[in-house]
Amino acid sequence: MSEAPTLKRTGLPLPITIIGAIVLVFICLFPFMWMFGSSIKTLPELYTVPPIWWPETPTFGNYYKVLFESNIPRYFLNSVIISVGSTVLALILAIFASYGFARFNFRGKPVLQSFVLVGQLLPTAAIIVPLFITLRVLGLVNTFWGLILVYMIVTLPLSVWMLTSYFKAIPVELEEAAIIDGASRIGILFRITLPLSTPGIVAVVVYAFVTTWNEFVFALCFATDSSVKTLPIGLAEFSTEFNTDWGAVMAASVVMTLPIALLFFSMQRLFVGGLTAGATKG
Amino acid sequence: MGSVNIAQARKSYGALEVLHGVSVNIANGEFVVLVGPSGCGKSTLLRMIAGLEAISGGEIAIDGKVVNTLAPKERDIAMVFQSYALYPHMTVEANMGFSLRLGGAPKDAIKARVAEAAKMLGLEDYLKRYPRHLSGGQRQRVAMGRAMVRKPKVFLFDEPLSNLDAKLRVQMRSEIKRNHQRLKTTTVYVTHDQIEAMTMADRIVVMNGGVVEQVGSPLELYDRPANLFVAGFIGSPSMNILSGRLENGTFMTADGTAFAVPGMASFGNRDVRLGIRPEHLCLDPNGLRAEIVTVEPTGSETQVMMRLGGHDVVGVFRERVVNAPGEMLPVSIDAERAHIFDPQTGKRLEA
Repeated sequence: MSEAPTLKRTGLPLPITIIGAIVLVFICLFPFMWMFGSSIKTLPELYTVPPIWWPETPTFGNYYKVLFESNIPRYFLNSVIISVGSTVLALILAIFASYGFARFNFRGKPVLQSFVLVGQLLPTAAIIVPLFITLRVLGLVNTFWGLILVYMIVTLPLSVWMLTSYFKAIPVELEEAAIIDGASRIGILFRITLPLSTPGIVAVVVYAFVTTWNEFVFALCFATDSSVKTLPIGLAEFSTEFNTDWGAVMAASVVMTLPIALLFFSMQRLFVGGLTAGATKG
Repeated sequence: MGSVNIAQARKSYGALEVLHGVSVNIANGEFVVLVGPSGCGKSTLLRMIAGLEAISGGEIAIDGKVVNTLAPKERDIAMVFQSYALYPHMTVEANMGFSLRLGGAPKDAIKARVAEAAKMLGLEDYLKRYPRHLSGGQRQRVAMGRAMVRKPKVFLFDEPLSNLDAKLRVQMRSEIKRNHQRLKTTTVYVTHDQIEAMTMADRIVVMNGGVVEQVGSPLELYDRPANLFVAGFIGSPSMNILSGRLENGTFMTADGTAFAVPGMASFGNRDVRLGIRPEHLCLDPNGLRAEIVTVEPTGSETQVMMRLGGHDVVGVFRERVVNAPGEMLPVSIDAERAHIFDPQTGKRLEA
């Protein structure tokens, strides 16, 4: 007796797929490996040609310098305040705007929706001067609120679009059932729609947080005082006119990357959809 | 308890009117089925009763109170949706108790009411489960339980069985009917399936193109359809309609096939449409000769499609027909049970 016949695989042969995947992952992760490797090297090792892959005497001296002898901790705190602030603000506004776009019909809705998108299309360089003037008039240059508002403007359009399409995918009958059950519109939004939109909300949070966390140009222009400077600007401070302390830059980069990595790993499970399974259909 | 009175209800979307003045009076405790083909406005009417659609004209009153401008929660109704619309992130218990929780009922009262409904529907073992862990029939029951828990004046059902397979549908049909007999709550039930309408309803409202074609008990509609639409819609296989002419009490089709129609002499000589139900054809050696097109045995009976007088005619016979397609089958028509309709207006003509 022969074993049960298996279905013929379609597509590329398995070894090629595996090798391709490994190569791709290696290319993506190489910069991070290099970053971490360099952050524990001593200064002479950093400049060795050919480069050494793993330091002979790993050192945490760079980290000590970054954490205790520089402004990085302060900038880290600033970055957290600004990113969390603008993410929360963008999320709240996006939820209400998207729900309106997804569920109500009103005059001018298509125009308003495309306007939201146009905001996203404007190049950074084009809006930096008007924004600066606006912030100066409002007295918000070099304040947390200034950057929080600017970042909210940057992240809101895409957040609204993402959430709108997510809300639209939730069956209307669920909301109608809730209306019949006696829920108000706000009640429906918070008791039915939002709990079912967790993957969409998570996607928006991650997008908004990562965008603001990494943003460089606006921060450079609107936050010149060290009390509000963010991490990306702080990294640049290790480069002076005459030399760059690469070890410290790499260590600070690791410190800056960690929260994003943690955010992704903790939220990963929530990205998966399928939360509405079982709602409708037999 | 609640009666539902619909007077000249209209619905338009912009310039397009989809309900053209519908009037139906539903008595307290009655089980009324709105039936009609897709797009006839039956679901729209139901949603207007529920308060999910605005009423463009006319009046809808529940328990004597006009509800035109009331929000759904103030109308004291409960609705079961075609897709069940269970809240996927809540357990069965939370789903059923949701409306009471919103209404601010005490926890013990909610628990008691949910338990009562769950017992009635056989859902006691599933209260802690989520909808995604339930089968189609169980979800359907939870949706009904969610409606029952509120003890509303009126139950509204919007094609609740369309997503179930045939066997389960028959089972749920009798379950819904049994629940209605126990609770005696006024029920408005929308379906496109005339069998569901016939088997469940106290009264059926047949709708077509935004108007009511006929209102009556299932057998009234079956025995005395008011027009060609109802005649063709109620009954399966549907009524055979023959075009022809009545002359001196004899019906004759264009190709000369003729048979006597007793008691119809009072109509005089005129063009008519004659309707005859498939079961009112019988095998008769002395009958008309019809050419067999297809034979469909179902076991208990045999459906035969044949050509008779230039029309495709379906007959349902208790006898087993073994003839092959193309052969001639002698059949006679129980002309006393024929229905006569006006060819222009489609209205039933009474002797």
